[in-house]
Amino acid sequence: MSGKEIYDSNWQAALFLLPTMSVVVLFLYYPGLETFRYSVYSTLFFGMDKTFVGLDNFEALLTSEEYHQSLLVTTLWSAVVMFGRLAVALVVSYMIYEVARGSSFYLIAAIWPYAMPAVVTGAILSFVAHPELGIFSYYLEVFTGIQFDWFSNPVYAFILLSGAAIWKGIGFNVIFMLAAFSNVPGALSEAAELDGVSRWKMLTRVYVPLISPTLFYLLVINLMKSFFGGFALVDMMTNGEPGGWTNILIYKLYVDAFQQNNLGIGAAESVILFTIVAALTIVQFRYTEKFVHYG
Amino acid sequence: MATKTDQTSHVDLYDSFSNAVPKNAGLHALLLFTVGIIATPLILALIFSTQSLYEIYTITDLMPGSEGFSNYVELFTEWNFLTYMINSFIMASIIVTGKIIFSICAATAIVYYDFPYKDAVFFLILMTLMFPLKIRIVPLFELMAVLNWSNSIWAITIPYISSATTVFLLRQYFLSIPDSYVETARLDGVGPLKFLVYVVLPMAKGFLVGVGVIRFIGAWNQYLWPLVVINDQSEQVVQVGVRNLQQAAQSGFTDWSLIMAGSIVALLPPLIILIIFHRPLLDTMTMQQK
Repeated sequence: MSGKEIYDSNWQAALFLLPTMSVVVLFLYYPGLETFRYSVYSTLFFGMDKTFVGLDNFEALLTSEEYHQSLLVTTLWSAVVMFGRLAVALVVSYMIYEVARGSSFYLIAAIWPYAMPAVVTGAILSFVAHPELGIFSYYLEVFTGIQFDWFSNPVYAFILLSGAAIWKGIGFNVIFMLAAFSNVPGALSEAAELDGVSRWKMLTRVYVPLISPTLFYLLVINLMKSFFGGFALVDMMTNGEPGGWTNILIYKLYVDAFQQNNLGIGAAESVILFTIVAALTIVQFRYTEKFVHYG
Repeated sequence: MATKTDQTSHVDLYDSFSNAVPKNAGLHALLLFTVGIIATPLILALIFSTQSLYEIYTITDLMPGSEGFSNYVELFTEWNFLTYMINSFIMASIIVTGKIIFSICAATAIVYYDFPYKDAVFFLILMTLMFPLKIRIVPLFELMAVLNWSNSIWAITIPYISSATTVFLLRQYFLSIPDSYVETARLDGVGPLKFLVYVVLPMAKGFLVGVGVIRFIGAWNQYLWPLVVINDQSEQVVQVGVRNLQQAAQSGFTDWSLIMAGSIVALLPPLIILIIFHRPLLDTMTMQQK
């Protein structure tokens, strides 16, 4: 590592590492690995009754229709949210890049949802989509004649939840895409513009291929975020209903572990989630040059 | 040289032509419309938060209501929002400060020290990305009970004050500081703390502000973990406070205008911080791309 290593005192290095390493070991690796041990026990009554059950928890989960449904819903939801966010953010950031580069107003107007707590997203959308009191439902009925009961129709509930996640996730994606756009050499876009290439063609034929590494990175990150996020939205908006069609994995984990107090099953669900996060992390490390993300 | 001049004048001509015709007006309108849609639910929430029960039930009434002030006062006097907000600020401050200081220390050791198993240590820190909260929530919950930290500020802060991402980015940042600075420090025999405080940190100031903003937003918006590990309302944070309002409304104890007011209050701190510090936020977040 070049000429940067100017100090060689081992005890000083250890002292500098101590704070982070203690937290990492005690609160990340220890409980992280304990999850695997918990997952082969049946733990009921707040941990008072603990019996070794081998792979029973996994068997129970992988043969349960409810869990299959939850997996399906989470996968569908992640895909819809990921594509929705990328599409909206791509168009918004391209417009900003084209006509308002450097404008703080448009920038903030497009990225502010990044600061929005998911609980707030959930609370606001629950109200505007409320079947009797919601202004959104009201006007939608006025214009379409259809009564949208967002919370009792599975398809509508799924759409509402996806919309919420897309809305909240736009900001993060715009931030990265704008940075990618501004790294595109200016001469290129000027040349194409002089040739009279339409904006839409510019976006799809010139820019998208050029910023594809960023798009791929965002694809992986958004999948990860929606596989592990969404809890607050579901908890505030649908509670996994109707009929389990918004019961994403992380919400089911919460209900099983902390409402049904079945910690063993909860831990087994964490282990299954771990295989997903591990796979996505490996993809991220191997195929993108960006190693880190803000969880 | 001649061709270059030609080209420049051509571009100038093109520019002045395009400036005369507002060719971007359509795109500006579309952009305004889009950011307007993004803002609409929030603006509606702001309006509804000022309305009385009667006004809320008049669905199409979009005028600012008559109880704006009293709704917000009620949050703080009757729904424990003062406590929630203070707790959220304490939690976010501890997490942000802790993460930054701990990560600076770790990155210093990794970049400026020569010690055995360095790569392994760095790898160990980086691999914690494989263990987000959801993977370890059950044992962590039990661990908090064992440590007697459940229902305390320690439970919602200490497990969060290490950060693989921040260590990684700081390491990259430290590595990008020119060798000459480091060399001078070495020749002058400057100690590590002095080197950090007088040489490295002043250079990394903008970057650290960006990290702080990202971390503040993340910490402030924390929801699942406080919900699980804190039962005592005097220790609870504002995100769960908004949920409590919604549950109270479902039982008929309050109404939607108060939930909207609570939402606005819970949103304001991270929103204000994002608006003030959007530049360092962007620079830090997209640093990996350069």
